[in-house]
Amino acid sequence: MAMSQQELIDTLSGLALFADLSRPQVEAVAHKMAEESYPTGQRILRQGFTGTGFYVIVDGEVAVKIDGNEISRLGKGDFFGEMSVLLGEPPVADIVTTRQLRVLHLGGPELEGFLRDYPPVMLRMLKAVATRLRNANRWRS
Amino acid sequence: MRYRAAVALSDEQKAKFLGDVPLFAGISAESMSRLAAVAGEQDFTAGQFIVRQGQVGTGLYVIVDGSVQVVRGADDVLATLTAGDFFGELSVIDQQPRNASVQAAQPTTVLAVASWDLLALLEQDPALSLNLIKGLVVRVRAAGEQHRH
Repeated sequence: MAMSQQELIDTLSGLALFADLSRPQVEAVAHKMAEESYPTGQRILRQGFTGTGFYVIVDGEVAVKIDGNEISRLGKGDFFGEMSVLLGEPPVADIVTTRQLRVLHLGGPELEGFLRDYPPVMLRMLKAVATRLRNANRWRS
Repeated sequence: MRYRAAVALSDEQKAKFLGDVPLFAGISAESMSRLAAVAGEQDFTAGQFIVRQGQVGTGLYVIVDGSVQVVRGADDVLATLTAGDFFGELSVIDQQPRNASVQAAQPTTVLAVASWDLLALLEQDPALSLNLIKGLVVRVRAAGEQHRH
């Protein structure tokens, strides 16, 4: 299911993470990040092993699994991989596709520079991580 | 104003102290001088609440001296924080009610940064945003670990 560059830009503009960027900025982001596709059942990040970068889901869905148990699912507009990259530690969960997946991928070493280049994306990520922390704390109580 | 600052630290002293706090490592000199100018010193006696669970956050707090307890509900102590630690950032970022109370465990001095000042700094200085994301990610991971075991 090929998507034209134009369709990709339109899709990215609609994702929360990129919502505050101008069209030329979104085009630059699409150029900077690699578009990748994965079939159903593919493991993209492996718990306990070195992380391979930052991923933004353009289309599809993945399961987040810890010790084989599914703890959540992520879909279009969600992102993953940034925790291990920013901490410099292996992922604490497996990320496995539950159906055909299209992502934008950025190599780990490039993430900090990318966020510095696009402060609105960084702020969106900050809010998303804050929400994740709240949810994580909710499990504890 | 709810609190009256004791006016003991100069902006220069505040900048020097904040410069040693990891959260503010690597931020620009301009951001640091703005931060020092807007950070208000507040003193609390032992047992006094600094933030209360359920209230929407009005700021970020950095402990200068003393210690605090992070408390959920009536007596569930989640953490004890000391000089150089910070709290209150979550509610500033997502504008949701505080998920815990923070109470001074002894006479405690903090520097308080109001929500709007912090948000303005975050928009202007990517280094600060990046530090804050890393700080939150560490805590997400710690919460997840606790969830698992």
